[in-house]
Amino acid sequence: MEKSGSVDSLGSKRSSSRQPSVDSLSSTSTSRSDRSAQAKPPFAMSSDSVAASAELSPEFRQVLRDSDKEPQLLPNETVQDYAQDVTYFCPFIGALRGTVIVTNYRLFFRSMDRELPFVLDMPLGVVSRVEKIGSASNRGDVSYGLVCKDIRNLRFAHKQMEDTLRKSIFEVLVKFAFPVSNGLQIFAFEYGQVFPENGWKVYDALSEYKRQGIPNESWRITKVNDHYEVCDTYPSTLAVPVNIPDEELKRVAAFRAKGRMPVLSWIHPESQATVTRCSQPMVGVNGKRSKEDEKYLQAIMDANAQSHKLFIFDARPSVNAAANKMKGGGYESEDAYQNAELVFLDIHNIHVMRESLRKLKDVVYPNIEDSHWLSNLESTHWLEHIKLILAGALRIADKVESGKTSVVVHCSDGWDRTGQLTSLAMLMLDGYYRTIYGFEVLLEKEWLSFGHRFQLRIGHGDKNHTDADRSPVFIQFIDCVWQLTRQFPAAFEFNEYFLVTILDHLYSCLFGTFLCNSEQQRLKEEIPKRTVSVWSYINSQLEEFTNPLYVNYSNHVLFPVVSLRHLELWVGYYIRWNPRMRPQEPVHQRHKELLAKRAELQKRVDELQREVTNRSASSLSEHAGSPTRSITPVQTFV
Amino acid sequence: MFPVKPMKPTFKCYLPPLQTDVKKTIEPPIKKLEPKLLQGEIVVNEVNFVRKCIGAESSQDDLWGKLICTNFKVSFIPSEVPSKQKSYLSHLLLGEHDIPLTCLEQVVTVNDTKGKKKILGSNQKLKFNPTELILYCKDLRIIRFCFRETGPDSAKKVCLAIAHYSHPADLPLLFGFEYQGRRYHESKGQRVNGASPRGGLRTPIFDRPSDWDREIKRTGALEWRVCSINESYAISPSLPEHFVVPVSLADQDLKKHSIYFMNQRIPLWCWNHPNGSALVRMASIGDPLQQRKIDQKIFSAITKSHPQRSEVIKSDLDKCLPNIQDIQSAFTKIRQICVIDPFEESEERWLSSIENTRWLEYVRAFLKHSAEMLYLMEGKNTSVILQEEEDRDLNCVVSSLVQLMLDPHYRSLIGFQSLVQKEWVMAGHRFLDRCNHLKKNDKDESPLFILFLDCVWQMMNQYPAAFEFTEAYLTVLSDSMWIPLFSTFLFNSPKQRAQHLVDFAKNKAIPQGEDQVVYFPPVWDWSQQFSAKDQTLFNNPMYVGKGVACVQNGEVKSFRRTKKMYSSTLRGTPASLRNGLKVGEDSLTRRGSLVSELKPDFSLVRDESPSERFFRDWFSRPADQQSLLIPLLMPSHLALWKLFFLRWVPEACISKGGPITAYHKLSQLVDEIEILQSKLRQYKGPSPGGTPLPSSSGPLSDQRRMYFKASFPPSPPDFLTSSFPFTPMGNLCRRSGYGTPISKFLNGARIWLSTETLANDAL
Repeated sequence: MEKSGSVDSLGSKRSSSRQPSVDSLSSTSTSRSDRSAQAKPPFAMSSDSVAASAELSPEFRQVLRDSDKEPQLLPNETVQDYAQDVTYFCPFIGALRGTVIVTNYRLFFRSMDRELPFVLDMPLGVVSRVEKIGSASNRGDVSYGLVCKDIRNLRFAHKQMEDTLRKSIFEVLVKFAFPVSNGLQIFAFEYGQVFPENGWKVYDALSEYKRQGIPNESWRITKVNDHYEVCDTYPSTLAVPVNIPDEELKRVAAFRAKGRMPVLSWIHPESQATVTRCSQPMVGVNGKRSKEDEKYLQAIMDANAQSHKLFIFDARPSVNAAANKMKGGGYESEDAYQNAELVFLDIHNIHVMRESLRKLKDVVYPNIEDSHWLSNLESTHWLEHIKLILAGALRIADKVESGKTSVVVHCSDGWDRTGQLTSLAMLMLDGYYRTIYGFEVLLEKEWLSFGHRFQLRIGHGDKNHTDADRSPVFIQFIDCVWQLTRQFPAAFEFNEYFLVTILDHLYSCLFGTFLCNSEQQRLKEEIPKRTVSVWSYINSQLEEFTNPLYVNYSNHVLFPVVSLRHLELWVGYYIRWNPRMRPQEPVHQRHKELLAKRAELQKRVDELQREVTNRSASSLSEHAGSPTRSITPVQTFV
Repeated sequence: MFPVKPMKPTFKCYLPPLQTDVKKTIEPPIKKLEPKLLQGEIVVNEVNFVRKCIGAESSQDDLWGKLICTNFKVSFIPSEVPSKQKSYLSHLLLGEHDIPLTCLEQVVTVNDTKGKKKILGSNQKLKFNPTELILYCKDLRIIRFCFRETGPDSAKKVCLAIAHYSHPADLPLLFGFEYQGRRYHESKGQRVNGASPRGGLRTPIFDRPSDWDREIKRTGALEWRVCSINESYAISPSLPEHFVVPVSLADQDLKKHSIYFMNQRIPLWCWNHPNGSALVRMASIGDPLQQRKIDQKIFSAITKSHPQRSEVIKSDLDKCLPNIQDIQSAFTKIRQICVIDPFEESEERWLSSIENTRWLEYVRAFLKHSAEMLYLMEGKNTSVILQEEEDRDLNCVVSSLVQLMLDPHYRSLIGFQSLVQKEWVMAGHRFLDRCNHLKKNDKDESPLFILFLDCVWQMMNQYPAAFEFTEAYLTVLSDSMWIPLFSTFLFNSPKQRAQHLVDFAKNKAIPQGEDQVVYFPPVWDWSQQFSAKDQTLFNNPMYVGKGVACVQNGEVKSFRRTKKMYSSTLRGTPASLRNGLKVGEDSLTRRGSLVSELKPDFSLVRDESPSERFFRDWFSRPADQQSLLIPLLMPSHLALWKLFFLRWVPEACISKGGPITAYHKLSQLVDEIEILQSKLRQYKGPSPGGTPLPSSSGPLSDQRRMYFKASFPPSPPDFLTSSFPFTPMGNLCRRSGYGTPISKFLNGARIWLSTETLANDAL
């Protein structure tokens, strides 16, 4: 890469010459406001990458040299096609004519209008579907609609190709937007950026359990799943009650859907009350029982001396839980599990959530209707779902913290709602997870290692946009986290930008973090070896993602108010493409300025103090008392 | 004074004791529960063995004590002083359990065994013995007392007394008159020594030409003059004695024109833009034949006062904004769902319920209209006339909002107070009727001032560094409307105020010529209500301002866009700034930002109106907090003012959370900065200008501007909640578990807390 300086298309101060290319990405996709309109990226394309694209015509080379127009390419990003005279129908500005460039990573549009410089720079990973809309309107124009995963739609048009053999640029785009469907590799495997930090080292299961004090007299680490033989969607390292031998674990696993037996997520440092997670028991219509499973849950309860009860939180509505019996699943009967109390949390399934987000997109994109905003928002039920999830997590946290009672959490398979609940409860209970590193650990642990099926839920590089397995479960979780940060603005080390960045790279396919469905798959695909972790990128520039208002509450448990009175639509994410939705005056920004001011003043005070000390030392007799008054350094809390 | 009931002879007056040694008075309960009385305050009725309901599910947190009705307030004195330390705002004149009678919205008595309830008015009979008393307050509190252990007759009597005394027959019977009379005489000695003029007030009152003169100079309104034709209210009963008019209009012309205006309210100058455009407000002209002629004369006079002779545009607010009844009804509805309906019930369809009240819609409408007026003045360089039938309601809201958006001076504390004084109090907003202090005419009641405060809050919420004061200040200001001790919110017009205060001075033997502001002070002297320390809660640590208001120096300061230390980094468009783009470039790239009403079918954007283009351009640039400020007005930009509407609702209270935790952190930081600055001053010694050294070690604690000091521990103190500095404890409590509050609420109470309570005038 050339040293392209710190100014780039969308990036920021943070783009040191060390990593200029990443900035252009981060900015495109992670814009906090509408950054689709950006001016003047410096000409920064490396000549190598231009040359690498063999099909380039001389004419295009000319275009490329016409500075200011090109995306700054990432390492191993290559231009695949370009087209001039394409119209982009911006829903906010109107029709814009310009050039489109498609690489193996991004779509880049730049308007030709000198009066109206406009840039759209977007990773292809966000594309969910491409539709050819045909030439209905104008003579000979073909238009393409791009439906995106990040709450926006784009529409382009260009003249019908005269040369029928030549492909439209949008057909080329389809190929690279859905590499998996086209036998290509996801870009993350090619992206070769090196960062100072290595994000793959953020999470180590053993050290995280050790941080929690595991193993201890009641809990042990087992290697029973070392080769993913007991459960192929679980991590290899698991924490279980001491007195249950591995052989019995296998029988417990056999009674739980997909072999996902109850294992430890979190243990209270004082009361030893635990959060454990699993999938539904395979009770079926006949009410099958498992002695081992019953004994196992008893062991979980016994591991906590403070309480003689165990709460089982079933995330589903009771009707759904009962319906699962038809498919061999179900829930724990209180007859079989003597000291357990079963609570249904009424959280709906992935299909309901998908539909809710679809409705939300209709309400917020591209424009918000002038009237009925709140009732339209209500009709999407999005915030209601958020509320139920947070309410469930709060009940779990409350049982563990206030009731000192251990809890078992499951839904059907234990990889969607269960992960939402355990990770949110842990976020409320344990201040460690509210730091940047801690949050990364939380995601690595509760989501990635416990087999949230990212590949299926997001559909990376897959053209099958109607796949019923897709669902915004993880987006919903991040939304819940954002709600917590709104209620406790000083309790989290990370800022909103951090959360938006995570969501943007959930789709971008630039990093390997969210690829595959399980730890086993990731190991098989050698993801850590072959891709870069999103945490490498984030941890190399922590300042960008730090909340300056952060106060370490350390041991304080957060009990949010789970009421629509306090839940808000996350406009900074869902409505960010709307240029009217300009971000509000950031408190954070002002805080940073004040910090700088304090530092400057402190410096001046220190200097003066030194001066005074020197002066008074040299002329002690003249100025007897006055300037030597001791200045105690101001306490620094930040 | 209050003629109906025989007064008790316990006639005790002493200075309000300020939180004196609580520990000493832990005596056996019941014995002597003495109310803290103000000068002139007398106990009218009292009853022992009353339970104040605190918890919903059980009575274990309830307080036992004595319920007292005085000629000023309803007071409850718990027999046991709770050990819990006070951590919230404490009022110097009102105790934690006190409610001024003027603050009572509705007095409801209940007999739950007979299933009866009655809303008590003045001089009414009560045919049953009440077992409970519920007080609905105008500051949105709901307080409930239980009389199970009380003698039935005495319970009845105290209820009747409260109902009666909260319906004063006449304005001078409001307690403020008694109180200020006594206070005047008792504090005379202190005042003579070292008294500053106007009671040390820094807020201009606009009752004298010099206040207007300064405003003319400050805004550079050269072609405008102070006019005193209304001296002794000779022309109009609702205009102030002095106001500002175009130079080209002679007193005689004005007198001549005045007869055509409703209430003779001729055009009043409000404010001048640095570009010369003026903001003017006036009443409508009754006679349609005369209207054109008069309009023309006014227009041409205003045009003549414009340096560029720009045209004048008139905006008829009655035609484009909700009327006072609409606003009242919206407020009633939003109060209903925020504080009266059971929490869980309103939770169910919260968003659409809020929408159905139309409150936020109205807030948005006023902000939007004001922004359009701003565009005319700032963008089109035209003068604007706000016209409303009476020029006493909607005009107050819009004129003050336009000025807040255009002139940073009004975003300082003193500036804001002077704005309220100028556009509300002196302009003759009918506070007495709109607040319905005498509870005589519900039809005239309308929370216009609260609507205005909500609009201010919306701007504050969007631009947290632009205002010198905080939302706590706005809330406290709204509460002050219900404390009848200050002259600000008691009268319908300056004339009414003057007349009442002259009579008052006569009755109380206050020497003629004494300044009314001194003997009946406005609310702006906050030391009447709060300690210096508590007043620091009004200071916004994020404020980027000039500090002292310009008026003080009598200087004319232009507030044209100037580069401020922070301005360039404050805007929330980090991308452009980080890219180091010039403002011009940036604005180009952001073209189209305000285009609205686009169909999702990708159709082409319709043509932009010039005002949209203007806003869009403005939004595309970083905002200078010390310049004009335009609120963002997409429906999704407006929020419910939670501190105001939800502060008393225990279920909505976030413990150790809410925006206050950010305030806490910033406040500590700014305090550190101020300590450092004062140290620097010490090092530098006396400045060449001759300002004396500040005190020896840092600012004195009472000079420090921040509520949370740097020396506090950094983690938010336990008492911080989203309701801070208020506390929902002691308000009608509906306990919540898990934040998902119990659906069973107040078993019996549900009947009378149901929706019809406030609307229903049941017998």
